[in-house]
Amino acid sequence: MNLKEVVKRAETGPLMEANDFLMKRVAAGVLKLQKEHNIRWDGKTLVNMDDEMADRCWEAGKQLFLQTGVYSMNSRRVIEFSPEEVEQGLRFAPAKVPMGQGKEATVVYHRRVEDPRPPFVFGGPFNADVHESTFVKLNEAFAQERLIDALLFPGYLKELDGLSIRPGSGLSSRAAVLYGQWAREAVRRAGRPGLAICGHAVMALNEIACTSEEWGLRQSDPRAMVLISELQADDVTMSRTMYYQGYGCPIYMAFTPLVGGYGGGPDGTAIVAVASFIAAIMMGGEIVHIGPQHIKYKQQTNNHSLFLGSLANQAVARNSHIIATTSHTTAGRPGSAQYPYEFSALALSVVPSGSNLTGPRPAEPLGYNDVSPLMARLFAEVGQAAAKLTRAQAAPIVEALYEKYRDKLTFAEAPKGQPFEELYDLDSLTPTAEHQALYDEVKEELVRIGVPLS
Amino acid sequence: MSTADDIYARMRNSIQEYDEAEAAAAAKEAVAAGLNPVEAVEKGFAGAIRELGEAFDRMDIFLPQLVMAADAMKAGVAVLEEAIQAAGGKLQKKGIVVLGTVEGDIHDIGKTVVGAMLQANGYEVHDLGVDVPSPRFIQAAEDLGANVIALSALLSTTMLHQRDVTELLRNKGLQDKYFVIIGGAPVTQQWADEIGADAYALHAVEAVRVLNEREAEWAR
Repeated sequence: MNLKEVVKRAETGPLMEANDFLMKRVAAGVLKLQKEHNIRWDGKTLVNMDDEMADRCWEAGKQLFLQTGVYSMNSRRVIEFSPEEVEQGLRFAPAKVPMGQGKEATVVYHRRVEDPRPPFVFGGPFNADVHESTFVKLNEAFAQERLIDALLFPGYLKELDGLSIRPGSGLSSRAAVLYGQWAREAVRRAGRPGLAICGHAVMALNEIACTSEEWGLRQSDPRAMVLISELQADDVTMSRTMYYQGYGCPIYMAFTPLVGGYGGGPDGTAIVAVASFIAAIMMGGEIVHIGPQHIKYKQQTNNHSLFLGSLANQAVARNSHIIATTSHTTAGRPGSAQYPYEFSALALSVVPSGSNLTGPRPAEPLGYNDVSPLMARLFAEVGQAAAKLTRAQAAPIVEALYEKYRDKLTFAEAPKGQPFEELYDLDSLTPTAEHQALYDEVKEELVRIGVPLS
Repeated sequence: MSTADDIYARMRNSIQEYDEAEAAAAAKEAVAAGLNPVEAVEKGFAGAIRELGEAFDRMDIFLPQLVMAADAMKAGVAVLEEAIQAAGGKLQKKGIVVLGTVEGDIHDIGKTVVGAMLQANGYEVHDLGVDVPSPRFIQAAEDLGANVIALSALLSTTMLHQRDVTELLRNKGLQDKYFVIIGGAPVTQQWADEIGADAYALHAVEAVRVLNEREAEWAR
């Protein structure tokens, strides 16, 4: 569907309060559809293996989306779609999206359930707060990891020139320009000048100031948009989508369904997730990112999110050719063994379920530079290994990993770890001996419990 | 004719069934039966809503149920409050909270959960919505005679506006008049200390706990 029709409907659709949309359309719709389609979590399963439930979840999610549409938060109107429009939208959704340039030109693609092809890896600072002084070095360290297919969200500059950056301000426009310049400089320094940079410079419309074919983010770089939970969009997101679509960039559309929120438990929220996958396509998305949030935990590797991620991805992978990717946020921080155990558990759950990979990163609240390029390498390696496994083979490994961290899911309980500058030698851009030893030790343990790492 | 216990049971049931109309009807029956309205709030509604708050914390129920229960309680309490006022009295509320998501931030759910949990625990909550300009929090607190200003921010970039509110309060000499509590994914105790907020809460349950424990500070 043409985006111009979407933005028109944001001005002409039925007017309603956000609370009515969320309670009467979303929450009430999920309750009814969950019962009708018998979508239930048994309280134990971490990796769904019930294909019929995945198909029912798809049907329920599609029906939910037809009942809800997307709420335009600024105009307070609902952007509604007919069944025919949704079918057309899904039919014309791309199954492959090219990105990057030159030797780094690459393609992200739709994966099937238990697809033996390796997942595409979006890896990078993933919107962690990044210091001005280490921005280029940190991104160079990620870009030099050859298993990363696209540099993911080079990081938020919270401060510039010694001042905090207010969204929408002149200073934030300067931050967006520098973001483009420095991200490009980082991939050049890493010897991968055409590496796709998945961008989201600052939290405001002036984010688009990062764009320049000469020095910044290019047409071949995907740009990230975020739908607000649940099934809502704001003017900034629609404006950025309109601009970047017009400019020709691949559109990476994220959504963050909330377990314990308007969808209820992980089973009901999986229905909301499927509806959101479809919403992302109808709103102009080409690569769709699911990043489940949780009402109690900030991270995405708890038992609810593991199940939700597997079920929703399977529903989408089996019934559409949407290109899906799943974000990985953890309670444990880089520098701790819990960090890779958590992201490995989720990767082993979602990759055999048909997803590509986005991440990893610790959950909020984040300190500065709270990420590790070496752990992004392990993340990609685990993703490749996961593609060799069926869901039945992956499930016991996910359970074994979950046992390692299930009692340390909150920020207070989880290990704190260290920032990038303590995990790496900043001159040589190599991991410290201690960090390298942690990588070796965790990898050995992953192999021991059955992850087919080469 | 129903006994007091029957009426209290009907009131409790209306909350457990998330039924706004039934809560108002049960409250009317309590008034008609000549029950003490203050006692009716406690015996009819408060226990039931507290139990649902605990069920929400255990994830036995979810946000829609919590919001519906809070709305039912609001409808029932409004009826009882009218009766109390008619008798020349005033319903003692735990505290008045002005709540919202800060400027530039359109994330809604976090503060909605906090609002519902506070309401479930007896606070009068005024939800200003999302993308709320900093001066509006203060104006609303002044207009409503609030005790607490609760500020939510989901983005590390927008949490800056939490600082604007505390700074504005200091500039107006109102920093001791309101208890400022902040929260949101990127927010920490360290940030609360840095900007001079009175408290930080990691999640809704903690927000209730903090306000309950520190009543002496906000009831000033």
